[in-house]
Amino acid sequence: MSEIIEAQGLAKIFPGGIKAVDGVSFSVAEGEIFGFLGPNGAGKSTTIAMLTTLLKPTGGTARVAGMDITRQAYNVRLAIGYVSQDLAVDDALTGYENLRLQAGFYHIPRGEIAKRIDEVLEMVGLKNRAKDLVETYSGGMRKRLDIACGLIHRPKLLFLDEPTLGLDIQTRREIWNYINQLRAEAKMTIFLTTHYMDEADALCDRIAIIDRGSIKVLDTPAGLKSSLGSEIVVFEFAKGGPEDINAALNKIRGLGFVKDVTKAGGKGYVASVTNGEASVPAIFDALSGFAAKIGSISFKQPSLDDVFLHYTGREIRENGGGKEDAVRARMVMRRMRR
Amino acid sequence: MIGVIVHDTYWVFWREMKKLVRQKSRIMMAVVQPVVWLVLMGNTMAGLTSNPVAAKMLGTGNYLDFMTPGVMVMTALFGGVFGGMSILWDRRLGFLNKMLAAPIHRAAIPVGKLAALTVQTVFQALLIMLIGLLLGVHISTGILGIGFLLAMVGLFGVIMGGVSLSLAAMLKSHEALMAIMNFFTMPLVFTSNAMFPTRAMPEWLRAIADANPLSYAVGPMRTVATRGWVWQEIWPGALVLVIIAVVTTSILVRQFHRSVA
Repeated sequence: MSEIIEAQGLAKIFPGGIKAVDGVSFSVAEGEIFGFLGPNGAGKSTTIAMLTTLLKPTGGTARVAGMDITRQAYNVRLAIGYVSQDLAVDDALTGYENLRLQAGFYHIPRGEIAKRIDEVLEMVGLKNRAKDLVETYSGGMRKRLDIACGLIHRPKLLFLDEPTLGLDIQTRREIWNYINQLRAEAKMTIFLTTHYMDEADALCDRIAIIDRGSIKVLDTPAGLKSSLGSEIVVFEFAKGGPEDINAALNKIRGLGFVKDVTKAGGKGYVASVTNGEASVPAIFDALSGFAAKIGSISFKQPSLDDVFLHYTGREIRENGGGKEDAVRARMVMRRMRR
Repeated sequence: MIGVIVHDTYWVFWREMKKLVRQKSRIMMAVVQPVVWLVLMGNTMAGLTSNPVAAKMLGTGNYLDFMTPGVMVMTALFGGVFGGMSILWDRRLGFLNKMLAAPIHRAAIPVGKLAALTVQTVFQALLIMLIGLLLGVHISTGILGIGFLLAMVGLFGVIMGGVSLSLAAMLKSHEALMAIMNFFTMPLVFTSNAMFPTRAMPEWLRAIADANPLSYAVGPMRTVATRGWVWQEIWPGALVLVIIAVVTTSILVRQFHRSVA
């Protein structure tokens, strides 16, 4: 499989010295759904802006669809589709007109235009609303129209910046379906950014966790989760004095498949284990003769949340940008809610 | 290459025109104010100017005839100064990035917007002209003269739109653009020959008025409207206007390239 994106030490330092992206290197294979996961302000959108030629990098290089993003910017633009997080559809035009405009921008041959517009409208299910002004659309419909705009020229590579930001759960699922459909039917490569763990988990073949401008780790979702090593058992004692509990804990620590037991508040404990769900009955049996009794016990696999916490040392958090960014974010949210 | 630029510019222009047609009320409102000027001020001044001394200063016995070219250019000024807003809105709504990520020639975005702005300005000037004719304004050169008046207004619209769009590309803030443009519009009108004859002005003000780009537009228009094709009074102003328009448009394309793309 060939590489459709190759980034080498890509960096962006804004005037004023803010390192938005601090030398990231990665490659994306053709046909892959590749995700950048990180909190707001981590450098995801800046990276996308560089890869889509909207920003010039201050360091490093990248090739997109085989072309250099600075020296062959025009050809890169022809090859890629870009759907920003801004919901960038024109409210004063109809859905059809938005697509017609986009077809003009991408130099779609005159004879092809009607067919292409029909095709993308069909896909996002907006055919019967195409003649209506976009200002009458709901947030989810605007997003679908924006995605349709990004598909009109059948790009090999589609950039989706926070595709489900601010959408309700049902619409998010729909968008996920489109993304999977695009890969399956059109063999499209998709590069997406998100700060939703479940989204990265559900869609991506590989995920790069990015924080404060650099990639902390890059792997498949399963690989990322197993990189935390163990699976965990969470349990809580229902009765028994401190000595009884200590005795019981010593017994559990002595079990061959238990690597470690740590306290998790009150009478609750977390044990990292190596033999999967079988650990639960095993721990239960081991304590059969003890005075301390377990009240609740459950087995958990580490989630991407745990992975993120592990690699960045913190939870995904909100982070403020400039004033203009804040205004823009508010406008997007307001348009979404309609 | 030229074909590509024209194609891309057309589509940027197409979008602006679609939006414009749906904002009929805004275009009409932009005409209401100048018409109010024309009706109120024109009629008030008519009482003051219907004497030989004033007629000599105005170059015509009818203040409405004198004022109409000035009001047309004033409308172009007021419309043009806020033309930059469309770039700022596109930036805020993310549409600017959408266009920049597309294979559009960089010059097509400002030039397409400027073209749409100019069409809007000329259309508004035409409405004022028609209302002026209904109010009894007389254009001595007839239909050809009206065509010339509209062409000059268009040229002035190109200049104001270019300045406003350049500032918008540079400033990146609605508030800053509004503040700067509001600061300049009224002084520009009153230090020009748009409302009052320069012959009635004190020496220092006349010097400013003679350098004011508004005067370069209004002067030839007034000559054509009230006195006919007096070429030696027409071509210097028209030429200066063409030169300024070329300069502001090149500045716009470069400024847009530097600040945005």
